[in-house]
Amino acid sequence: GLSSARAAEILARDGPNALTPPKATPEIVKFLRQMIGGFSILLWIGAGFSWISFGIQLAQGTDSAFDNLYLGVVLALVVILTGIFAYYQEAKSTNIMASFSKMIPQQALVLRDAEKKELPADQLVVGDIVEIKGGDRIPADIRLIFTQGCKVDNSSLTGESEPQSRSCDFTHENPLETRNIAFYSTTCVEGTATGIVINTGDRTIIGRIASLASGVGNEKTPIAIEIEHFVWLVAGVAVSIGVLFFIISVSMRYRILDSIIFLIGIIVANVPEGLLATVTVSLSLTAKRMAKKNCLVKNLEAVETLGSTSIICSDKTGTLTQNRMTVAHLWFDNQIYSADTSEDQTTQPFDQSSPSWTALSKIVTLCNRAEFRPGQENLPIMKRVVVGDASETALLKFSEVILGDVMSIRAQNKKVAEIPFNSTNKFQLSIHETADPHDKRFLLVMKGAPERILERCSTIMINGKEEPLDSEKAEAFQTAYMELGGMGERVLGFCHLYLPENEFPETFQFDTDSMNFPTSNLCFVGLLSMIDPPRSTVPDAVSKCRSAGIKVIMVTGDHPITAKAIAKSVGIISATSETVEDIAKRLNIPVEQVNRREATAAVVNGMELKDMSSEQLDSILREHAEIVFARTSPQQKLIIVEGCQRQGAVVAVTGDGVNDSPALKKADIGIAMGIAGSDAAKNAADMVLLDDNFASIVTGVEEGRLIFDNLKKTIAYTLTKNIAELCPFLIYIIASIPMPIGTITILFIDLGTDIIPSVALAYEKAESDIMNRRPRNKRKDRLVNHQLAVYSYLQIGIMQSVGAFVTYFTVYAEQGFLPSTLLGVRVHWESAASNDFEDSYGQQWTYYQRMYLQWTGYTAFFVSITIQQVADLIIRKTRRNSIFQQGLFRNKVIWVGIFSQIGIAAILTYGLGHVTALNFTPLRFQYWFVAVPFAILIWVYDEIRKLLIRRYPGSWWDKNMYY
Amino acid sequence: GLIFLFYLVFYGFLAALFTFTMWVMLQTLSNDVPKYRDRISSPGLMISPKPDTALEFYFNKSDSQSYSEYVTTLQNFLESYNDSKQLQNIDCARGKIFDQSDAAVKKACRFNINELGQCSGKEDKNFGYSKGAPCVLVKMNRVIGLKPEGEPHIECTAKEEGMVNINYFPSNGAMDLMYFPYYGKSLHAHYLQPLVAVQLAITPNGTKEEIAIECKILGSPNLKNQDDRDKFLGRIAFKVQMLE
Repeated sequence: GLSSARAAEILARDGPNALTPPKATPEIVKFLRQMIGGFSILLWIGAGFSWISFGIQLAQGTDSAFDNLYLGVVLALVVILTGIFAYYQEAKSTNIMASFSKMIPQQALVLRDAEKKELPADQLVVGDIVEIKGGDRIPADIRLIFTQGCKVDNSSLTGESEPQSRSCDFTHENPLETRNIAFYSTTCVEGTATGIVINTGDRTIIGRIASLASGVGNEKTPIAIEIEHFVWLVAGVAVSIGVLFFIISVSMRYRILDSIIFLIGIIVANVPEGLLATVTVSLSLTAKRMAKKNCLVKNLEAVETLGSTSIICSDKTGTLTQNRMTVAHLWFDNQIYSADTSEDQTTQPFDQSSPSWTALSKIVTLCNRAEFRPGQENLPIMKRVVVGDASETALLKFSEVILGDVMSIRAQNKKVAEIPFNSTNKFQLSIHETADPHDKRFLLVMKGAPERILERCSTIMINGKEEPLDSEKAEAFQTAYMELGGMGERVLGFCHLYLPENEFPETFQFDTDSMNFPTSNLCFVGLLSMIDPPRSTVPDAVSKCRSAGIKVIMVTGDHPITAKAIAKSVGIISATSETVEDIAKRLNIPVEQVNRREATAAVVNGMELKDMSSEQLDSILREHAEIVFARTSPQQKLIIVEGCQRQGAVVAVTGDGVNDSPALKKADIGIAMGIAGSDAAKNAADMVLLDDNFASIVTGVEEGRLIFDNLKKTIAYTLTKNIAELCPFLIYIIASIPMPIGTITILFIDLGTDIIPSVALAYEKAESDIMNRRPRNKRKDRLVNHQLAVYSYLQIGIMQSVGAFVTYFTVYAEQGFLPSTLLGVRVHWESAASNDFEDSYGQQWTYYQRMYLQWTGYTAFFVSITIQQVADLIIRKTRRNSIFQQGLFRNKVIWVGIFSQIGIAAILTYGLGHVTALNFTPLRFQYWFVAVPFAILIWVYDEIRKLLIRRYPGSWWDKNMYY
Repeated sequence: GLIFLFYLVFYGFLAALFTFTMWVMLQTLSNDVPKYRDRISSPGLMISPKPDTALEFYFNKSDSQSYSEYVTTLQNFLESYNDSKQLQNIDCARGKIFDQSDAAVKKACRFNINELGQCSGKEDKNFGYSKGAPCVLVKMNRVIGLKPEGEPHIECTAKEEGMVNINYFPSNGAMDLMYFPYYGKSLHAHYLQPLVAVQLAITPNGTKEEIAIECKILGSPNLKNQDDRDKFLGRIAFKVQMLE
């Protein structure tokens, strides 16, 4: 091997043997983005204006100049704090992922300084000699110099699911094809090998693909687009109302400075300061919930993307299936039996009384080289780790389930000779002593490709008796073989022969090279067929997708027949639908004559796909509801994803291999497998499926749809009170009444009382089965549609304003200022020099006495908005159903929200009521109830709205009032 | 079309509801006395004339134009104190609270303008402005039901000594208790609040200087004159600058 010194030199030259992680955005850029994104820019403008007016007023020597300085500082603080919060949330979800990928540091066995050493794999350099054994991950691209039964799983690289044998022979010009190279990040399935490192890090084949993948740009997530749309909408309203009233106030001969202060108020009232933070919290709550259900979301926004998914391109192996071969069918005594293929089988229900089964089970048990790894006796059989290839593993587990301790059976039937499976023979043979001490015969057992096995048989066992294999029985065999093969299953034939005692005495020396024993005229016993069976939860999940309007497309590297069989068994191709080929077969006409439109299903071969133009692919995707892509390479996955996106679909793609990463990136939501997935795939994906189970995606979809609905509710809730905050300013400007609510007070609503309730809406349960409606159309079904804005702004918002104004006028009237006295008093009211301001009863007020009353007005207005927001919160629980259908108490968090809201309001009013700067005053108790009738009205009105929507679907009311 | 109609009805309903609730609320109020008077438990002080710019008197004693506004204001203000306007007012017993809570018709006590002496505008039409001894009327804010205790009187001090000599009319700057309590605009229509005239005889030293003056109500335990936040509660500060 290399000397440590030389290795260090090369390491210094080439760098560590690790993939360069995708270029991360610098933290400071991320942070700054949070600081100026969304509404922040508006608030910065507000803060800037505040400071400008502070400067001007200070120069003029106005007493209240510092109010504006504080307001500016508060606004800036709001922006910075919400920015820090959003940044922290984002960083938190990124960290989950970072810790995830660092879980297992890889080790490699290297020859250095003529000594074998365990080194971290990233220390490897070109020229190192490494040893690998079954189960290891290949630590770099290596050229093999010694192999022993070495097989590698290249599926993450090439998509081929079959393990490939590796040898020292150079067999092909193409490095991907030749047998003497093993690739970085693939796994060695069995055997051992020694090799020389030829490429490390980014220069490995995988590294090159990974760097290609990072070239595929990240698209904006649908929810990001929705939020942007919403921010624009609200900012547009804020700016246009602000500018409009700026012009109005200037033309009403207000001073420019006053007009600017009004503008700040209008902006602050219009911008839902807490909303983006609330949205982030809601998304991360859902992300947590999804993580519990095995969907780990890397990017918070992907939570919702999953909900708007309209096409899922799913892998077959491991995602739809259990990723292990399992015995599915048996054929003996001229009859096909089905075996249990579920994940946790403990018994097999088929009829085991026939003596043929006894014989067959013996062959299955004995003619098998697979073994359980020791020390797993306490694990369920299905979970135990087996050394051996997939079919032998299946057979071993199958017989262990039925017969019990296979290893002791094998010990009792001692193996005396063996010919392992090879591709020329296509059979496996072994010779055993029998368990019966009185029976001195040897038993020869053989399994292999059914047609090859049958060739070697002259008899067949029926009900335990050997019968001659005539053409009728051979015909029956053929039918069974075809039927099992047609189900996409891998079929094996089994036969045996008891060697006559006289020819093969106990001492007989079997020689497997010269084959000094019979290998023909055997007795055929039966067939076993195996398949990688679907996960038991998948058919249900697929049918859920179907009712949810999500198209599930299977993309697999497997054979079309197997792919189709699995697609049928999980419901991706439904029982009644036919492919073009099926129709051709049924009608007995050539494929070309079939009307393609009649075929709802399609199985597309990767070879066909290669020659297809994108128009042809589009038409396939459009015309067929049920599609399976078989024999596809991971590269073709990208083409399929792009095709789906051209249809306007939101595409989710699952993948595990490195080659999947471009498709994962390209997809609207890339889903990597947590168990089988490569790091590259996990890096490229937006979400990691911890249990590799398709059904978890569907749960994720459900959560994603729910959060979309609930975000609508949160936003509707939050926007409503903006009008109640805005109206005071507008009426103040137009009617020149004393200011009904202060800018700081507004911030206390937006960032105080309203925060917990709006997060509480994220816990709301779905109103109806959200999995029974079509995925949202990303062009039409907006998060904030105009119905939502209009209903919140122009209906509930106005009602709230009316309620709050009634409280405001009540407070003033009961202190001596009747509403008529208040109109047009602004200038005089706000003049600090005016200290004998007369009320409706002839009393005179000093400036401070008036200001204190004004703050009482702020507090009353604030309390009224809070009280009416309770009603708003309750009505937002549902959009269509009655609250009583939804249940008032099912979502306990809503009540936490309501109590927090009232609690915070009470603390502000009574606890902080003496802090002048906050402009709260202890409020008379009865003023809390002035707005209650309006709160009730809001509730009743919304119930009527929902009732009419339910009663008259599609009506004018439904179209205008349902958001 | 329909949407327009809908909003017409919707807002019509809201407007009606607003009007109705406001009407109900107003029905609960008395015409005579506001429901709560806790926000003005203690009255503020104010002066007349009140300069436009933050309580700063700025005039030239030899230029009648420069103080004509003050003079006019004072004349107008004192108009309602003319004897001819006080015909229905009665002479009340001095030094006592004039409690008429049982009377259906509340009488107003006469305030004799002659008590303002040189500042009554009768002798000196210019209220002393032309002589370098300007008059300023100090009044206490009307507060319904307020009954001052003790012997309330106004006292003014200049921040710096020797710039101004201060005279009070009535003497000692007293506010007679008979003018209290006040029963509100509707019951007590002819009520006149007592006035204290302060004549600031500016000495040659104080001429051209900006003189800061603070007046306070003293001698009554229930009239506050020291509040950190409210600088007009029972006191008032203003500045006078006179040129020659």
